[in-house]
Amino acid sequence: MSATLIGQSLLSGLMSGCLYALLGLGLTLTWKYLRIINLAHFALIFLAAYLTYEMSTRGWHPFLSALLLLPVFFMLGAAQQVLMSRYKVDEFASVIVTFGVTIIIESLIQYVWSADFIRVEKRLARGSLELGPWLAPWDQLIMCGFSIIACLLVWVVLKHTWHGKALRAQLDNPSIAAAFGVPNRKLSLALAGMGSAFAALGGVFIALLFTLTPSQIYSWFGVILATVLLGGLGSTFGALAAGMVIGVGESLTMALTAPAWAPIVPFTLLILILILWPERL
Amino acid sequence: MLKIDRLCVNHGLASALTGVSIEVNRNELVAVIGPNGAGKTTLVNAIARILPVHAGDIFFEGEHVTNLSPLELGARGVALIPEGRRLFTTMTVEENLDIGCYRTLARTHRAASLDHVYDMFPVLRERRKQIAGTLSGGQQQMVAIARALMSRPRLLLIDEPCLGLAPIIVSQVFEVIAMIRDSGVAILLIEQNAVKALKIAQRGYILDCGNIVAQGSPAELEAQGEIKAAYLGAH
Repeated sequence: MSATLIGQSLLSGLMSGCLYALLGLGLTLTWKYLRIINLAHFALIFLAAYLTYEMSTRGWHPFLSALLLLPVFFMLGAAQQVLMSRYKVDEFASVIVTFGVTIIIESLIQYVWSADFIRVEKRLARGSLELGPWLAPWDQLIMCGFSIIACLLVWVVLKHTWHGKALRAQLDNPSIAAAFGVPNRKLSLALAGMGSAFAALGGVFIALLFTLTPSQIYSWFGVILATVLLGGLGSTFGALAAGMVIGVGESLTMALTAPAWAPIVPFTLLILILILWPERL
Repeated sequence: MLKIDRLCVNHGLASALTGVSIEVNRNELVAVIGPNGAGKTTLVNAIARILPVHAGDIFFEGEHVTNLSPLELGARGVALIPEGRRLFTTMTVEENLDIGCYRTLARTHRAASLDHVYDMFPVLRERRKQIAGTLSGGQQQMVAIARALMSRPRLLLIDEPCLGLAPIIVSQVFEVIAMIRDSGVAILLIEQNAVKALKIAQRGYILDCGNIVAQGSPAELEAQGEIKAAYLGAH
């Protein structure tokens, strides 16, 4: 086992961690603050990825696609929340309802783009950053930047703005918060919208970094749920740290054993979390 | 300032209040006392618009407010200090106070209001970064009072502020309520501790079984022998 391989595994693991945090960000926020376990988040990520692909075949730069997708997905998320609160969907029912939505979106993607593998040819930047013997592809580094900035931004908003404080007050005691003028409903819609906008941002990077096929939606469930739960619901830096722990665990497992063993890391962690800290839910 | 006219509130099929009429004037502290289950908390929650009213009217500053939401009533300057404090327990003391002045108008006075409540409760200034849920019961009650004051209310509804507090803290809470009264905020105080409540109130009502059974100044209430024996304790 060479130092080069170990170092590269660590680096790749950290970068995967940033991706996991970016993909889990919207999920952890709506789970904590709206008590909605939004499995449709994964489907929205892939819908955004396919739309990025579609626009790239027409010559759109991925950033331009993101600029369009973010507001559109914000509206989608808010609309979903309108329905969720209209029909008073609770935490457990939300798993089933949003899983249904996931299947619908998957079928839609398959109908429009077929189940064949597709790949966005456009890159944000060609090549890799060379750090001695180790390589960090530029596109992944850019994704890491976006992920860290998004986590930082959400943390600042939650901790230090009036909207963030109002959201936390609403979680603690909605009727008292309302009596002091906190607009519970508006805040919930805005938060759900933001969750979906983060799904769109994640989707743009999924399109840039991976080959797409609709059924891959489900392959992300385990690792992202493990990231969100290990990081602590609603915690953005927690998700970042947990993502990195899982990412490094996976890449070291791949390097030391075989790539096929990598999924054992998030699932083992998920099971351990559920056994050791069930209150994290 | 506040006028309640023949208010009726039902809990399911049982009637909790049957035609209660009370009044609170400007700069006045009015106490509503009575035994457990008399309907005191029902009364204050109906006034705060948390509970639906089945008959009767509520007027605030001459305007009919019976059909407003808690949000709208709050915007007019009525603040509630609920029974059991009901703080935002995972947030810091200062964040709780921030929610108190969440409304646009109150928010513009945030700095002055914070100074005001921190001068009133110096211990809260020391502990402003502490998570509210980790404070003692008495300190939590101070946060609940301070949070309501941050909204710059003209009428304060205070429901059983001394529930579960140590006797020495109870006296402090009553001193604070007297201070708020002197600062010109009208107060409707719901309290089981009749003797202490009537010491700081200008007028009192005795509520029993959903009805007002007596009213008047503290001296008048104490002069009525039966009432003294039944509700005020025979000391």
